[in-house]
Amino acid sequence: MSQAATEKPDNPEPKRSSGFRISRRAFLGVSAAAAAVLTVVLALKRPKLAEPVETQATKAIDTQEYIATSCLNCPTRCAIRVRKVQTTAGQTKVVKILGNPASTYSEGKCCSRSHVGLQVLYNPDRFETPLIRTSGDKGRAVNFETDFRVASWEEALQAVAARLTHPDRLLLFQGLNTTSNADLIRQFALACGTPNLFVEEGLETDADHEGKMLADGRSDSGYELMSEDGTSTKYILAFSSGIVESERPLARNLRLWGKLRRELPNKTRVVSLDPRYSVTASRADEWVPVNPGSEGAVAMAMAHVIVSEGLYDSDFINHHTEGFSKYRTVVMTQRFSPESVSGISGVAADAIRRIAREFAQSKPAIAWSGEAATSLTYGTFASHAIYCLNALVGSIDVPGGIVYQQYPLYAAMPAEGLPITETGISFRRMVELLRDGAIDAAIGFNSNLIMSVPESKEDGRWDSILKREGFFYVHVGPAKSEMAAYADVILPACTYLEEWGYESAIPGSGYAEARIKQPVVEPFNESRPAARIVFDLAGTLGKRDFFLPEASGISGDSGAFAEQFAAYRTSPFVGWPDFRSVGVWRGGHYSYRNYAFGTASGKFEFHSDHMERLLNVGRPGDSSVYPLRLAIYRPVLEIKSSGQNFPWAQEIYLVMHGRGWKNLVEINRETAHRYGIGEGNKVIVESVHGEIEGEARVLEGMRPGVVAIATGQGHYASGRFADGMGVNPNDVIGTEYDEESGQPSFFNTRVKVRKA
Amino acid sequence: MANWGMVIDLDKCVGCQACSLACKAENNVPHGSPYEQKRHHDMYWHKVIAATEGEYPAVNTQIIPMPCMHCDHPPCVNVCPSKATFKRGDGIIVQNFRRCLGCRYCIVACPYGARNFNFKDQEDKEYKRPDLPPDMDLSFVGNMGPWPYPRRTRGVVEKCTYCFHRIDQALERGWEVGSKLDGEHGVLPACVEACPTEARYFGDLDDPESAVSRLMASRTHFKLREEMHTSPKTIYLPR
Repeated sequence: MSQAATEKPDNPEPKRSSGFRISRRAFLGVSAAAAAVLTVVLALKRPKLAEPVETQATKAIDTQEYIATSCLNCPTRCAIRVRKVQTTAGQTKVVKILGNPASTYSEGKCCSRSHVGLQVLYNPDRFETPLIRTSGDKGRAVNFETDFRVASWEEALQAVAARLTHPDRLLLFQGLNTTSNADLIRQFALACGTPNLFVEEGLETDADHEGKMLADGRSDSGYELMSEDGTSTKYILAFSSGIVESERPLARNLRLWGKLRRELPNKTRVVSLDPRYSVTASRADEWVPVNPGSEGAVAMAMAHVIVSEGLYDSDFINHHTEGFSKYRTVVMTQRFSPESVSGISGVAADAIRRIAREFAQSKPAIAWSGEAATSLTYGTFASHAIYCLNALVGSIDVPGGIVYQQYPLYAAMPAEGLPITETGISFRRMVELLRDGAIDAAIGFNSNLIMSVPESKEDGRWDSILKREGFFYVHVGPAKSEMAAYADVILPACTYLEEWGYESAIPGSGYAEARIKQPVVEPFNESRPAARIVFDLAGTLGKRDFFLPEASGISGDSGAFAEQFAAYRTSPFVGWPDFRSVGVWRGGHYSYRNYAFGTASGKFEFHSDHMERLLNVGRPGDSSVYPLRLAIYRPVLEIKSSGQNFPWAQEIYLVMHGRGWKNLVEINRETAHRYGIGEGNKVIVESVHGEIEGEARVLEGMRPGVVAIATGQGHYASGRFADGMGVNPNDVIGTEYDEESGQPSFFNTRVKVRKA
Repeated sequence: MANWGMVIDLDKCVGCQACSLACKAENNVPHGSPYEQKRHHDMYWHKVIAATEGEYPAVNTQIIPMPCMHCDHPPCVNVCPSKATFKRGDGIIVQNFRRCLGCRYCIVACPYGARNFNFKDQEDKEYKRPDLPPDMDLSFVGNMGPWPYPRRTRGVVEKCTYCFHRIDQALERGWEVGSKLDGEHGVLPACVEACPTEARYFGDLDDPESAVSRLMASRTHFKLREEMHTSPKTIYLPR
């Protein structure tokens, strides 16, 4: 450097630096100083490894509270606590949902669906104001921004009331609603004078309920799994039922699953008969692949084994049943022998015998009929056949067996008028009404009808019914959905986290449990609780009397109606302040062995008249053209409260496949090979009713000849996180009914699959 | 000092994924999108995987919930050039966002895929958490701690922390921490608290009386990829 400093100024070589020069000594000095500073800085910044890093968890939070309410993302309606925080900046936000330990029903646990409640509340595609249609096509072509105009509540309610002049031509659809809202909707049907109330939950359960009703005349039977004193079910025979993914009451099933499997001295044995290697099948001790639709026949073959080997509970059968001798004659016939049923079901006769013996010899044991076993044209009979297995082994009304749910005794409401049951009209009846043009106007309360019925595709039966000229549809719901796309008027309802109400526990525990619904935040924008909407609508029609029982303390002020109604209805058994702080009320202990059957004979009835129907498991259609059978299933993260516009649920939708944001066309490897289909191929699933395109998933856990597609996807008007993801298998399923209950038979469709 | 560990009973687990969702809610982990899932850019501090083997009809699927294994010999800590990830005295492996260069060496080193690289700023308004201090991202110099996460810092690696904020807070206040085999549980990580089947247990592996130690003593147990000698502290009880 010293050499460079003595260079001549007339050196022709251009200077490299712009004049900043530094001596070697100075450079070293500066470097040392910089290193020293850096060391100090790093030492200061370095976290102290042995000590916990300081947390600031509560500093920004002014207040936080846990509000007791209940979930509504599936019909189980678990008690939950919601953590709400208020920040020092004055903002309020709901940040966490937890189970409520006061609920013994599911021991304070809630399933994964509950957590998604945050996104139900903060769904970015919620309706802000009432909307009235001005133009545009209904259905897929809908544009919620341009086809509707903003209206005031008064105007919207008047517009609806003007079309409700003919009560006999009015239809009410009820999707998943709070129990209290369901009660109010039924009351509204009474007020309007229409018997046409359709409850969408029945789309999945009607046939199953009907088959059980045939036997015991009760609509409230449930599988207890474990009694309060700790008697547990020892053997579970799951007939295509997703006990730990879709069967209600899910959170209770999950909690008790943990208990039955590992918290007791003897592990409960679970056998899953299912065409599909479902989550339940994978968790069970044994998976028995069975031909779809032959579950009822297998149940009869098991009855054959139990009866012929004398393994049945003769004490229960002699004292509390009717029709057993005829039933015995029928099941003992050769048609129902394990060998002959083996040909229909694909289950080895030995396996049927072994499982039947195990089932009969482990007490208490239950046979659980799932949706896939009963959503068939002969679903009622299949359900009945499976249910009768429980009676054969004496599992009716015993600890750990079948129990009959008790309900809270709510205060009475004025109920003169038409007989309207809680389950409403059957699906078949509703289709007849719509097909015959007997309906001019319909109101859907959180309805998801178009996505959950067969032939849901564009230009299909439902599309054309809902688009029909002169058909007036009012949608009451919190967020964008496919049904809202068909609406003439949209009334924005609150989500379940913003409204007052009460819930009853569904069958499972035996004892009654009521849970509160209370708002954790103020209603979003102009949305209103469904209770208030119903009350105001009735007011516009001049029918408020139906909602104002005498001496009830309900003032008639519509803003306060929802809370006053819930407080009045629960007043016979719980004080309102207590109910609000605890969130749960439970009834007295369940008493077993009452055998209070609702049948004509007062006994458990074995029916055997139509049982040969179970052997005819063929599907309509040409097997040479459509060689495969389509099965649907409901994954645990199918959120039932509205249209799947929830990224948390979407991104981990199919746990068995590690995939999200879509559903897959699941095919057995051999079958896929036969049709030249590989993993991940785009394939077309075609039935006589139409075709859908999906992504193939080739796997081992599927019965050959079966194509399975998860439901819950294929939305087109539900918002940014749901639209265009996956397909709706209902698009290609045909409208066939269960012969007895009128439930659609979702598992009755033949398809073929080809590469796209 | 305790040596925190988690025991997961695979016989009880039914793959409902309540753990994954409780984690997202607790730690404000952003959700992904179909595009991000395709590129494996979406973030899960906790995930549930399914591993299938066998041929029809003898199929067997294992559903395995996977938080961070919080290894005793963590390869991620060894490779980190900036000491952004380190093992606390109680055995929890945490990540300091302010030190992280985003080189992703640790992601390569981790045999369990427990680490996530944050490819995006968290923009969606609905996931901004007003309850959490607003100034904890890279622009804030005053605090070194990696929690809480009111918003996300693009370009750093994130991971499960066994919800150490809960544990620290509980210890500060003298509350009990960890699962109990009988009676009320102490403070637990969000995933353990949320599990509806109670398949997960959390506690002190060094304490022979803790639920986790007693479960490990009573049943056979295994760790994932034991051959790599990482000594995970997330331990599984087989079916």
